[in-house]
Amino acid sequence: MTRRADTVGIIGAGTFGTALASVLARSGRRVILWSRDAAVVQSIQTSRRSPRLPVAPLPAPLEATSDPRRLAAEARFLVLAVSSTNVRDRSRELGDVLDGSHIVVHAVGALATPNNERVSEVMTQGLPTLKLGVLAGPALAADLVEGQFASMVVASAFDEVVAEARRLLNVPPALRLYGSHDLVGVELASALSGAYVIALGLCDGLGMTAGPRAVLITRAIAEAARLGAAAGAEARTFSGLAGLGNILVRSSSDRSADYLLGRRLADGVITADSVRTEGARAAIAGCDLAKQLRVRMPVLLGVAAVLSGKLDPKDAAQLVGDNVASEE
Amino acid sequence: MARDRPVREAENRLERFNTDRERLLNEVERRVVARRVNEAKAGGDHSLENVLNDVAFNEIRRLEASKAKHGALDHWKDLSRRLLAMTDEEKQAELRSLVRHYGGDVVGNFDPRVYKFATGIGPSLLGFVFNPITSLRQGMDTLRNLDARITADGELDLVRACAERGTIVVTPTHSSNMDSPAIGLGLLRAHLPPVTYGAGKNLFSNPFISFFMRNLGAYRVDRRLRFELYKDVLKEYSTVLLEHGYHSLFFPGGTRCRSNIVEKHLKLGLLGTTVTAYKNSVREGAPNKRIYIVPVTINYRLVLEAETLIADYLAETGKSRFIITDDEFSRIGRILEFFRKILVHEGSVVVRFGRPLDVFGNDITDDGESIDRAGRIVDPASFVRGADGEVTDDDQRDSEYTRALGRRLAAAYPRLTVFHSTNLAARALYDLIAKAVGTRDVYRLLRAPAAQLGVRITDAIEELVRLRSRIAAHPEWGAEHPSYTGQSADEKLADAVHGLGTYHTRPAVVRQGEMLQVEDLKLLYYYQNRTAHIPPEAA
Repeated sequence: MTRRADTVGIIGAGTFGTALASVLARSGRRVILWSRDAAVVQSIQTSRRSPRLPVAPLPAPLEATSDPRRLAAEARFLVLAVSSTNVRDRSRELGDVLDGSHIVVHAVGALATPNNERVSEVMTQGLPTLKLGVLAGPALAADLVEGQFASMVVASAFDEVVAEARRLLNVPPALRLYGSHDLVGVELASALSGAYVIALGLCDGLGMTAGPRAVLITRAIAEAARLGAAAGAEARTFSGLAGLGNILVRSSSDRSADYLLGRRLADGVITADSVRTEGARAAIAGCDLAKQLRVRMPVLLGVAAVLSGKLDPKDAAQLVGDNVASEE
Repeated sequence: MARDRPVREAENRLERFNTDRERLLNEVERRVVARRVNEAKAGGDHSLENVLNDVAFNEIRRLEASKAKHGALDHWKDLSRRLLAMTDEEKQAELRSLVRHYGGDVVGNFDPRVYKFATGIGPSLLGFVFNPITSLRQGMDTLRNLDARITADGELDLVRACAERGTIVVTPTHSSNMDSPAIGLGLLRAHLPPVTYGAGKNLFSNPFISFFMRNLGAYRVDRRLRFELYKDVLKEYSTVLLEHGYHSLFFPGGTRCRSNIVEKHLKLGLLGTTVTAYKNSVREGAPNKRIYIVPVTINYRLVLEAETLIADYLAETGKSRFIITDDEFSRIGRILEFFRKILVHEGSVVVRFGRPLDVFGNDITDDGESIDRAGRIVDPASFVRGADGEVTDDDQRDSEYTRALGRRLAAAYPRLTVFHSTNLAARALYDLIAKAVGTRDVYRLLRAPAAQLGVRITDAIEELVRLRSRIAAHPEWGAEHPSYTGQSADEKLADAVHGLGTYHTRPAVVRQGEMLQVEDLKLLYYYQNRTAHIPPEAA
């Protein structure tokens, strides 16, 4: 393999992009980390740390750049790690320099604004390559930095995308990669899990016990799988790493913005910023999608109603509970 | 119309076919044998013994089922017996001879003299088929009227430019037995070069038709041969033809679409050979040998075999829900009926060409350059290259590319659909009946009493007016026949009722005073299905 074939390009030096870059670089993988922000690039080159996640060391052979041409020339395999609100612009920008041979997997656990499309659908509109995939699963940035045993799943319609992701990103024991062909399922499971983590934060904030919590999780997985099946995904994907895995890890961590949002909502703290987490956006987007595909999703509707202030958090559990109880 | 813009280079391609024939066959043989011998190194299912056994087993089964003569059967039984004792060299020799045999069976021919003759007489023949002739004089009028009857339109200049620059693959919707002659005539009228295409071996059984088909570039596809080696030969032949610049035609829907619904799920099949052929050209250092896929719709005012097609479709889809209530016609009666109809009644067909795509489903510019969804020029060769610019082989990737192409084709068809009066009137009547009965389910409507299948003419006209204005507002759904957009709703309805009421064995619709009575709901359903992608009007 050549240097280019063995290089991973990471787009976005935010929390996850930096953590992934760190774990790869520390295992000796060549990484090009791209950021629009020249100051971030400068900081990485000089201090080997990103201001967005200073705890993560970014040793050589990692290099940072703000030049998309260099990124495209030096790496064929790219990970898009930006927020859902930036997917469209970054894809268009990158599209100017990529060609049909590039492989791009995204690590965006949300649906894209403003049309609630899956992120890969938005990427298709901006990028020339068809070889797209998604990277998702219960790997928190902090876990990656600390070298905890993390696992993620990569999904794509192309065998080559899955194989290349596993060849380049699999750095056990810090990060293990599973493969899947269910692109739609992994994208939806990953996006919706953020919304359900809000529900679990709310549930914990209200002091509910393990029983109702378990009901909430199982009902959430069941309704997400229904939506997935209606959208052409495999139902079992939702109980895998991107669905259940994501929900479990984020709902037991004070590091998850979605979980903290849920807890704040339980305390009655609702601000304009409330709906700025990826999970909150996914709740609203998921409800639109459910309406479009005519799928009943009482848990998601409950989360969305609380987020928009239409439902008092204290009434949410009762209402959702009344609506979910039907045939198992 | 660029009538004076010759495509000599393109036309000459099929003319040189006969001199190329042996070279093409050798190429097919060399590639298939090399690949199989190479794969056999892995052993197991890929061993030559297995490959040969697969052929022998299938041939024996086929011949036994068809009660063939013993000679042919013995040949395969003998091969099957000898296989175990054969040396590797003998197996390779046997493989080579089988590939050559099937290659020879598949390969077509092109005789420029036959083409000239057929294109001279073909339009007149087809003119008769599509037009009413009750006297010689009327027949001559018919020929003069051909322009109005058989139309080729759409992106003709661009398709012609693509045929000059590279190789085109015409991919039409498929709904009737008349599709092959209709598309042939469509190409001729569009001043596009002839294409080569695979046709079912059964079509070659008639020596007269076989002569024309063989000499007009058709190659034989024997659907009874189901073993991998035959499919290999067929695919390789198609690939080699494309690499050598022979314009081709595939029906991506597979067999005729029985419902008349604009095709959504494509079978792709040989379409996959376009990616392989382009990849081979890139590997040979010729990335500019482009292949263009041209979506085409064939739109009939009346479809000859509509009754059989829709009966097949309903029986297949509805299974037990569909109750067959009528006997099939006797063979002779059916044939006589067929000729009477095509001679006495009006037919009309529009062959509409869409903007070509590249083999990966990308749009192209007017110069034939591939562009991505954001409109940027993209190098199509990059789609088959690896990290260091090398051409890589990956069958799964290539079939995924072909699926992407299939999705783009399926998405292109609705916009290219041309609605005849028959389709529009059938849809208007179907909507009114569905509203009155309270369901759009065809199986339930089929059981509705005759009283519910009557529609007031004034209501039908009103419905038709609304449907036409909805279509005009949604070009992505398709468009009315361009020659008849000026027709009033009354005229359109009358034209449709005339066609639907007199063309088929049993009238689909008849006028009774101020009412239109639907006599054959299946036929009505068939004709309205062309508009099935248009959602019902919101209440």
